[in-house]
Amino acid sequence: MGMLREEDQNHLRREFSGKLVNPVKIVFFTQKLECMYCQPTEEILTEIASLSDKLILEKHDLLEDKSLVDQYGIDKIPGIALIGDRDYGVRFFGVPSGFEFTSLIEDIIDVSRGTTGLTLDSREKLKKIAKPVKIQVFITPTCPYCPAAVRMAHQAAIESDMVTAHMVESAEFPHLVQKYGVMGVPKVIINETIQFEGAQPEPVFINHILKAAE
Amino acid sequence: MSETRNYDITILGAGPAGLTAGLYAGRGGLKAAIIEKMMPGGLVANTERIDNYPGFPEGISGYELAQKMEQQTRKFGAEIISAQAENIISEGKYQLVKLSDGSTVKSRALIVATGAFPKTLGVSGEKELLGKGVSYCAVCDGAFFKNQPVAVLGGGDSAVQEAIYLAGLVSKVTVIHRRNALRAADSIQKIAFANKKIAFAWSKDILSIEGSSRVSGVRVMDKQTLKEEVIPASGAFIYVGYQPNSELVKGIVNTDQQGYIITDDKMATSLQGIYACGDVRQKLVRQISGAVGDAATAAIAAQQYLELNA
Ligand SMILES: Cc1cc2nc3c(=O)[nH]c(=O)nc-3n(C[C@H](O)[C@H](O)[C@H](O)COP(=O)(O)OP(=O)(O)OC[C@H]3O[C@@H](n4cnc5c(N)ncnc54)[C@H](O)[C@@H]3O)c2cc1C
Repeated sequence: MGMLREEDQNHLRREFSGKLVNPVKIVFFTQKLECMYCQPTEEILTEIASLSDKLILEKHDLLEDKSLVDQYGIDKIPGIALIGDRDYGVRFFGVPSGFEFTSLIEDIIDVSRGTTGLTLDSREKLKKIAKPVKIQVFITPTCPYCPAAVRMAHQAAIESDMVTAHMVESAEFPHLVQKYGVMGVPKVIINETIQFEGAQPEPVFINHILKAAE
Repeated sequence: MSETRNYDITILGAGPAGLTAGLYAGRGGLKAAIIEKMMPGGLVANTERIDNYPGFPEGISGYELAQKMEQQTRKFGAEIISAQAENIISEGKYQLVKLSDGSTVKSRALIVATGAFPKTLGVSGEKELLGKGVSYCAVCDGAFFKNQPVAVLGGGDSAVQEAIYLAGLVSKVTVIHRRNALRAADSIQKIAFANKKIAFAWSKDILSIEGSSRVSGVRVMDKQTLKEEVIPASGAFIYVGYQPNSELVKGIVNTDQQGYIITDDKMATSLQGIYACGDVRQKLVRQISGAVGDAATAAIAAQQYLELNA
């Protein structure tokens, strides 16, 4: 406890009580050994969950809870799935700290409401997607441009049943950084076929997703 | 979508300047549209902490300030349209703004509040190696260069500040500067000179950024000896100042040599009905407090213009 200042806690309490609609399950995947960032992640999540009755924190072990691991498509830890009235495909891998803390809070609110602030045009386009799309957004917690990309990806996931979107914290997953040649963030990989750097305006981002789903 | 929507006033950009202009316009009873291509808040939404904006003695996170500004602006009725302004056509008394979604916004008054963005050097390798070692954000990307040598290109405040930050992560930082002295503030210079990991390459013209799939070095030429060399670096962090987002109004209103829009003390540009405020305008200091002040003036001046030319 005690990662958030009291005034921030109060602010979040008010935000949650004013904006949350459906309960949100924060499903957290961890492991007992060799996970440096699992502990801080758990602390952040515990603290957030304590700020509203509508937030339920569930903790699972990557190795022991195989069926849930498969159900939510968790392949690394710390992993978080945000589940509202259904699973919208919103995932975080790595500690959601620094600038990404805000992404987590806003995602919780959107998942609870089952809707996002994307434009009507974007939402209509996303609803028409018929093929599975997986978006990975590589970030660093100190990157001020990254939450825009994470949020765009997560909002797309909420609007489309076909889209799943992962935030990936670069420092914690060096093998993926290596695999995708990440040397600058935000870096977005869609279905292994499309990749781009930097925060992009909403229409450009959405078009990349539609391309990947063609 | 090829529809045309009518407003009293169109504001380009939803940074602190655009949001403030929208707030004043909305409160003044005008039907206002604010066009924003990224997220409301502009550069502020991307600034970690702001300590010099009055009213927040403990400082405030840029993101939070941006959100509060946006809420306040929406409260007074201004509409924020999520699209990029692509083109401006002046038709008699009207300004038509073509948007990236194909639609057009039409109004008699226009406020340009599009801000500025980091300048590029324009050398070969810069575009090609973006995200492969070329970066404009040390706090974002520094972590990918742990224990490797990097170069910082530039000699102003932000270049030297970022060099100091990077020195804490990487094996060596070479600051490459075209002059033989820094432009950065004295206090920052002292810290940089005392840091053993920071080296300086003075009086160098930057010719290109080298590397095929990733940055391997920066090719420079000494201004005196005209000798070329490649300074080895895995990362090239570019901090050579800012450049105004004024392409849209080029040829429509007067700008200075660097492209900043020239205004009078009412924020009026050289064309009647078009105003400019914030970082995109020619002025001495580019800060939030100045941007919001400019914007209040621009919105009120524009409203007076609309009333006098009704
Ligand atoms: C790292 C950093 C730290 C800073 N720290 C401070 C500080 O501590 N205190 C302080 O007072 N100032 C600070 N500043 C400066 C401050 O951020 C700027 O002075 C201020 O944001 C200027 O506001 P603006 O509205 O004029 O422009 P911006 O904030 O740049 O907003 C312009 C907006 O216009 C949009 N736009 C541009 N072109 C188009 C188009 N064609 N169509 C649609 N939208 C468009 C952009 O997306 C952007 O959102 C800092 C700046 C930086 C970069």
